[in-house]
Amino acid sequence: MEKNMILIVDDAEINRKILKVIFEEQYQILEAADGEEAMALLDTNKDQIAVMFLDLIMPNKSGLDVLDYMKAKKYIKYIPVIMITGEATAESDEKAYEYGVSDIIYKPFAPKVVMRRTKNIIELFEYRANLESQLEERTKELIESNRKIKRNNEFLIGALSSVVEFRSLESMEHIRRIKCFTRIMLEHLNQFSSNYHFSEEQMNLIVDASALHDIGKIAIPDSIMLKKDKLTKEEEKELEKHTIYGCDLLENFKQEDDDEFYRYCYEICRYHHERDDGKGYPDGLKGEEIPIWAQVVSLVDCFDSLVSGQVYKVPFAVDEAMRVIREGRYGVFSKEMLDCMEVAKSELFHAAELELSYAD
Amino acid sequence: MTVKECYEEIGGDYEEILSRLMRDDLVKEFATMFLDDSSYEELVTQMEKGNCEEAFKASHTLKGVCQNLALTELANASSEMTEALRNKDMTMAESLMENVKKSYKKTKEGILALLAQ
Repeated sequence: MEKNMILIVDDAEINRKILKVIFEEQYQILEAADGEEAMALLDTNKDQIAVMFLDLIMPNKSGLDVLDYMKAKKYIKYIPVIMITGEATAESDEKAYEYGVSDIIYKPFAPKVVMRRTKNIIELFEYRANLESQLEERTKELIESNRKIKRNNEFLIGALSSVVEFRSLESMEHIRRIKCFTRIMLEHLNQFSSNYHFSEEQMNLIVDASALHDIGKIAIPDSIMLKKDKLTKEEEKELEKHTIYGCDLLENFKQEDDDEFYRYCYEICRYHHERDDGKGYPDGLKGEEIPIWAQVVSLVDCFDSLVSGQVYKVPFAVDEAMRVIREGRYGVFSKEMLDCMEVAKSELFHAAELELSYAD
Repeated sequence: MTVKECYEEIGGDYEEILSRLMRDDLVKEFATMFLDDSSYEELVTQMEKGNCEEAFKASHTLKGVCQNLALTELANASSEMTEALRNKDMTMAESLMENVKKSYKKTKEGILALLAQ
């Protein structure tokens, strides 16, 4: 909307009239004889006022009261204020600028100067408002494109990880559950362990990375992956290499050295079969040598295998699965991880119920 | 009497006001409006009441109006008055008031004479 009004606030009619004479050909003039009238006029015409002239010393509400009001209502951001004053004192001028006044003009007015300065200020504010709305528009676009990229990423990660699941004839829901359980564990680690403070962003990255934990299985031959009978020692050794193969695969696509997401993917791929006692593979890391995200995915991977019936062909109840894990009969985990699992029990239980019922 | 002669009579600066308002008839119009301005009466009332703060506001307004109309003599008188009241010096203000009254009376009579023609 074209801003076509000028608000003149001065208790002396003559002073208002002099300004009015200057601007009345180009603008519709609003007049206020005191602060209170000014506030009321601001409220009703705030979107059409191109500039406001404001006298400081007035009966009822003063000019400073009006400025306070404009600040509180945020009018000061889009309505430029030109203070009109009879005397120049550095102190009061400084105060006025602090209050958000755009310019100060002194009585008596020199019409040409007033007109020129006013025009400049109006243009400046229009320009700024324009910039701000452009910026807002750009920000919206950026947020939207970010959202798109994120959605595409999720799609790609899902597609990539499901390749493995699809081929190994496992439930494609496995990935979704791993992500879900991983998030639950991370949230509980945040809450119950003073050692970890995962940000929302960090958790999202780790959860996404968890989906790729078995990506290396793509390189394992069908003869092993799909074998119905018990694997030989050699075959088992080969299957264990999926952790390394996964890392090889990821290394081919590495983009930057300090890529946080890459690091989570890599470490989860490589270390999700390590054990707290150092007897896991491929590197035999133990205890805290194993990155916490790999520990988390390792545990939820075991947990999911048990509750979904992949290991013993019969699904374990959540309680039973946790007991097996706690007793070290399936994977070996740190006390901290086991404690966290215990605390997260009811949430894991609900998630398992919900997610497993989807899979049926 | 011309507007210019009137301004000279009442201690105003005609050249100054004409340079700002550009037109002689506009100068006359504003001078006429000055008669309706209530800040002088307000100043008198507040001085009688001894209300320093309100007297200051009225004096301040009167000064601004006079500056805007280039009524130099009255502008100077009310300016001195304003400073005394700003400093809350009522004794000084009382004594300056005489000067303001005298100057206002002269200004008002001058403008009335201009209009009476």
